[in-house]
Amino acid sequence: MKKLFIFLTLVFMVVLAGCNNGNASSEGEGGDSADAGASYPEQEINVVVPAGAGGDTDRNTRVTAEYLSEELGQELIVNNITGSGGTVGVDEVNNAEADGYTVLAFHNSMIINDILGLTDVNYENFELVGSIVQDNGNAFIVNADSDIQDIETLIEMAQESPGEIQVATETGAFTHLQLLEFQEETGTEFNVVDVGGAADKTTALLGDQIDIIPTQQGLVQEYIDSGDFRSLGVMSEERLEGAPDTPTFTEQGADIVYDKFFFWAFPEGTPQEVVDKFTGALESVANNEEFQNEMSEFLVDVSYMNPEETQQLFEDRTEKYSEIYEQTQQ
Amino acid sequence: MNLFIEGFALIFNFNTILIILAGVALGLVFGSIPGLTATMAVAICLPISFGMDAANGMALLMGLYIGGVSGGMIPAILLNLPGTPSSISTTFDGYPMAQKGLAGRAFGLSIISSFFGGLISIIILMLLSPPLAQVALEFGPFEYFAITMFALTLISSLSEGSLVKGLIAALIGLTLSFVGAAPIDSYPRWTFGVDSLRAGFQLLPVLIGLFAISEMLKVIEDRKPDIAKTKDGNSEETKVGFPLGAVFRKPVNFIRSTLMGVGIGILPGIGGGTANIIAYVTAKRQSKTPEKFGEGIDDGVIASESANNSAVGGALVPLISLGIPGDTVTAMLLGGLMIHGLQAGPLLFENNGPLVYSIFVSLLIANVFMAVLLLSGMKGFVKLLSIPKHYLYPVIIALCVVGSFGVNNRIFDAGALIFFGILGYLMIKGKFPLTPLILGFILGPIAEVNLRRGLQMSSGDFMPFLTQPIAAVFWIIAIGSIAFSLYKEFKKTRSS
Repeated sequence: MKKLFIFLTLVFMVVLAGCNNGNASSEGEGGDSADAGASYPEQEINVVVPAGAGGDTDRNTRVTAEYLSEELGQELIVNNITGSGGTVGVDEVNNAEADGYTVLAFHNSMIINDILGLTDVNYENFELVGSIVQDNGNAFIVNADSDIQDIETLIEMAQESPGEIQVATETGAFTHLQLLEFQEETGTEFNVVDVGGAADKTTALLGDQIDIIPTQQGLVQEYIDSGDFRSLGVMSEERLEGAPDTPTFTEQGADIVYDKFFFWAFPEGTPQEVVDKFTGALESVANNEEFQNEMSEFLVDVSYMNPEETQQLFEDRTEKYSEIYEQTQQ
Repeated sequence: MNLFIEGFALIFNFNTILIILAGVALGLVFGSIPGLTATMAVAICLPISFGMDAANGMALLMGLYIGGVSGGMIPAILLNLPGTPSSISTTFDGYPMAQKGLAGRAFGLSIISSFFGGLISIIILMLLSPPLAQVALEFGPFEYFAITMFALTLISSLSEGSLVKGLIAALIGLTLSFVGAAPIDSYPRWTFGVDSLRAGFQLLPVLIGLFAISEMLKVIEDRKPDIAKTKDGNSEETKVGFPLGAVFRKPVNFIRSTLMGVGIGILPGIGGGTANIIAYVTAKRQSKTPEKFGEGIDDGVIASESANNSAVGGALVPLISLGIPGDTVTAMLLGGLMIHGLQAGPLLFENNGPLVYSIFVSLLIANVFMAVLLLSGMKGFVKLLSIPKHYLYPVIIALCVVGSFGVNNRIFDAGALIFFGILGYLMIKGKFPLTPLILGFILGPIAEVNLRRGLQMSSGDFMPFLTQPIAAVFWIIAIGSIAFSLYKEFKKTRSS
């Protein structure tokens, strides 16, 4: 009996000690906001990426995080919290303490999740920090030996046999909307299949389980170079600087333009000083030539957008995507 | 061969070797503490590796990976606590062996199986990566669904005593895996409006709650004098065993388990957590003395430990040749490669040949360090048993809570740990086997998401699930597996 007592006492002590520590540190972080700004960051910062490892969101965030940690003088720890088009990770940050030690790094899929009704959390629930990486290389990728030669033949084939061509997406993700618009715009119908995130899509195409994957061209450039994959085109206004041989969708008669922007955001209520400090660090990274060179290999653009510009972009895109979505639902 | 030498040159300096040694040692510590895993060890050290050059950084991560997967054997054998999913079935025979005073032998068997299992899988990785990765690509939703169905049929062999109770446990596990946002359309299920439930239950709290917390509750209740104490001074227990003969006298079990580990490791998403269970069940079924499994038979330990270490080499196959991560650790390794400016994929060998081979060499060296550290530490581990349990267990429980919290930094997960501890305890009391529950919990989401993806691909047609060649093979194995257990049951009832 005595041993049991000692055992239970020890358990309680340890658990209580753990709880106390937890409370003490969280009070210390969020308690005095004026202080928080001046000394921020005092500990490592948790970065939540609501997408899988090995995708473009993950890659862009990890590289940016490394430069940011130099600017901020603290480690940034990247966590992949995946699930349902990113809503699980977004929720995680939305519910996190607004102390500047949890930050969201994501892209415009957040808007689409909202429009598709997967979540009611949108950009207005966050303190936007800014955007420094934009990707205009939204492409349709096929296997090198595919019968589909270009966007024109794709449209023809899809019109001849509706619902036959299998196109990958992740439900509620950015590519989902692109596909809805493409079908609407060109009068075609695909068999749209959820195969998972960016890395899963590449796997499915390599394994010939799917006909087309919509993905970022920079993400699969290596497979294009190695002769495994071909790009049918990119959904940008002009051809990409890094891939001048790939035509745009518009050139091929499908007037579809998408840009993907990667943003950083804190939970609502994060002290302004903290947000400003992080924004400043982002701007310095955007101006870092080494960073620009590193990112150009991924076929993405680096340009700094401050919180207001990012907010404006969110508003514009929300309007555009809502319109597209409503049209496709009619 | 040239590349191998170049890779070797990158690694073979005092600094790098020391980094690998440190990685293995730290990995072993993380692996051996229930609640801390190889994944966490890699997560914590990932930023450190960024500061090193690519070869050193990857060497550190490989050391952590090998150490983290291997360390789980220590609490599994000594305390019946699986520290990581990879060592669940090591407890089945390792712990009974230690109870008989043969902890030294259990360690010896585990270390030898881990070392050679790991070695073979690394050699396979070096020689056969590209063709094996092509095989992995053949597995789509139809094939994955068939495999999970096959793996679920193993439940019958994991349910000692009552098949019905085993099935009930498995169904509880499947149901628990459905809690949270559904795959694909993220419709919330079983959440009862509770926000924390939307992300579902994490594997770690479920696993250590069910196995570790419940075990400790059981020990409290026993209030027997400490087993280890009564055995103090028993020379058998601390004797450093090196039972090479026991592993290789019957090589079929070892080789089969190793190859299964590699095979299951290669398939992204299934991984080491299931490899050890599947290898264990197969060993039991193929054995001439299946009734001795669970009582401390050599073959059980060998099967589990060779399979979990060989899954490491397997998991690296799709990572290195395709850039596809197979489990949470390899997902982070992929991040590590990217930060060093290396794009894992078809051109990695071409563009960075020496570096790829330096990873292989690191793995080989880490594997040796793992065996050496464990062998030399063995006496010390056994001494752990002489710490009275009322001092040891509170520390372990605290670490379990910390570990569960650390999965997603949510206190909810720590609460879930306690919940599953109580559930596990009640199940033990009711004589329900725990392993079917965890198997159901791991396999449920894989089965569900692949069923739904497959149905999308086939536009709602169920036939491809049966008619795709690889899937069909697994269905046949699954049916054979059920027939086998029915036959066993039939024989048992007739003889009794």
